[in-house]
Amino acid sequence: MTDSKLLTGSGLLFNVLEQHGVNHVFGYPGGAIMPIYDALCESDIQHFLCRHEQGAVFSAVGYARASGNVGVCMATSGPGATNLITGLADAWADSIPVVAITGQVPTAAMGSDAFQEIDIFGLSLACTKHSFQVTNIEELEKVLHQAFEIALEGRQGPVLVDIPKDIQMASVKQTFDTTEHLKNKVKLPLADISKALNLLTHAKQPILYVGGGVGMANAIDEVREFAQKTGMPSVSTLKGLGAINPDNENYLGMLGMHGTKAANLAVHDCDLLIAVGARFDDRVTGKLDQFAPNAKVIHFDIDTAEINKRREADAPILGDLKENLPLLALALNIEDWQSKVQQMKNDFAWRYDHPGDNIFAPAVLKEVSDLMPKNTCVTTDVGQHQMWSAQHMSIDDPCNFLTSGSMGTMGFGLPAAIGAQISRPHDTVIAVSGDGSIMMNVQELATIKRYQIPVKIILIDNAKLGMVRQWQDLFFEGRLSETDLSDNPDFCMLAQSFNIKAKQIRKKSEVTDAINDMLDHNGPYLLQVKIDAKDNVWPLVPPNSANNEMMESA
Amino acid sequence: MNNYKLIIMTDDKQVVLERILQVTRYRGFLIDGITAKVNTGNNIATIELFVSSDRSIALLIDQINKLVDIKSVKVDNSAAKRLKAKECSA
Repeated sequence: MTDSKLLTGSGLLFNVLEQHGVNHVFGYPGGAIMPIYDALCESDIQHFLCRHEQGAVFSAVGYARASGNVGVCMATSGPGATNLITGLADAWADSIPVVAITGQVPTAAMGSDAFQEIDIFGLSLACTKHSFQVTNIEELEKVLHQAFEIALEGRQGPVLVDIPKDIQMASVKQTFDTTEHLKNKVKLPLADISKALNLLTHAKQPILYVGGGVGMANAIDEVREFAQKTGMPSVSTLKGLGAINPDNENYLGMLGMHGTKAANLAVHDCDLLIAVGARFDDRVTGKLDQFAPNAKVIHFDIDTAEINKRREADAPILGDLKENLPLLALALNIEDWQSKVQQMKNDFAWRYDHPGDNIFAPAVLKEVSDLMPKNTCVTTDVGQHQMWSAQHMSIDDPCNFLTSGSMGTMGFGLPAAIGAQISRPHDTVIAVSGDGSIMMNVQELATIKRYQIPVKIILIDNAKLGMVRQWQDLFFEGRLSETDLSDNPDFCMLAQSFNIKAKQIRKKSEVTDAINDMLDHNGPYLLQVKIDAKDNVWPLVPPNSANNEMMESA
Repeated sequence: MNNYKLIIMTDDKQVVLERILQVTRYRGFLIDGITAKVNTGNNIATIELFVSSDRSIALLIDQINKLVDIKSVKVDNSAAKRLKAKECSA
């Protein structure tokens, strides 16, 4: 034990954050967290003042996803804490390691309906991996270490630590004891390797189905080597994009509701599906009992609860992908199948020959992808622009494509881009957003202004809530309900009021120069791309349909 | 609807019972009964949870097992059978 002087709980908090290598935190002060903000003045950690607690938590999420480090955010009690909930839910659903610190009213006032008191500890149960409320100063140091350990261990996720104000101010000695680990369960390994090998060697039409778990397990090299060695055709989930090299000749792109036709048909026809860090989400499978209906399943995952949750695995392989995947990397004799999927890939390749002068969003996003520097990090919001980005941008690493996958949270993209840019100051960061989504956290333009964060924003603007409008047209007989946004503000003027350079384009002929101007600009930039309000995302697997029943036009 | 009795061993930590109840409800299981006792000697709580659902009990066991403070979750099949028999005769 190191001899140490007396600290406050708040001082101890920053010492422990520094022990875990935290350099940046995102937050917003308030009454019940004032002792922590006071101690911040004496810390080397840099704090970014966001303009809404939801901005802070999404910046922490973007920071974590772009860098692989834990993202940290802070908020005060009551409304400050409840404003974190959506971001915590997003991090929980997409398994992102975030530590959220909330101030709480003093312990003596807890349970008395005090000013700005809410039971955030109770509220957090359904949207965090774990949470703590510290009511004894002697517990604080251990709890903070446990928060980081839990956030990163196994399937990652968000952890909330609620600290009452008197605990923040209480005196404590730092013990520097980090040896006590919380985990007390012995997990039995579940790995049916010999059965999996048997399935693999007998498969004639195997598919590798890659999910977000690959990037989170740092197993990109292993999965690429597996794809290369086996020559197996591969498909990706939204969160898995970038795990497989997009130039791999047997890679068919994203599967599922807005997946490529080749990916969905190949999965439908396969006789062996190897799920790697993927969880058979409903947006992936479509009608579950018709998903890969003739396939045996080998399922690699770190989370026991995902095995057999939505699809029975013939050979479950639980544990670390880095260790397990190479055990199955054999050369396969599947030339006929490879030729068939390559033919489909060729036959159903994206087309960009869109008639007229109006801008075609997929072509813009493809061109951005072609022109952006290597290792650019793209974030998206949620809606049509998100699916077009997933379909048409070429992503070389999952940490370069940050999107709200499971929760589908509008308002994710802008604050996530801020967090990504702070974690990777030398890389280009592009936030692709829509005119609906950007308004959900538009206040974060002020964060960009304050810190001169050089994020590039591509605003795909159809003056509609486009994805909902698309569904109303297709599945609700064209009756449009609350999806018109033709009274949006002037986005260029809005950006300029935050000292962000902005430009609007409307014609195809303007696209290339506009993208280059944006990428060449040193500071933040908003490029407003006006598109036709009737453009739809294709293909589309309608609700309750099998993935081979895609719609390709209205 | 199938009936099950789960025997859950857990560290005696804050809100562990709330966590178990929240997960049980969210994952689609009805709670038919519960008993909980703490061994003050080792701070281990034993919770007997009677649940019913059409879903596989394995889904709930896996989710409860994931909770940080849980030490073990087991199904007591004999109790579940007795419960079912009682329900049929009632």
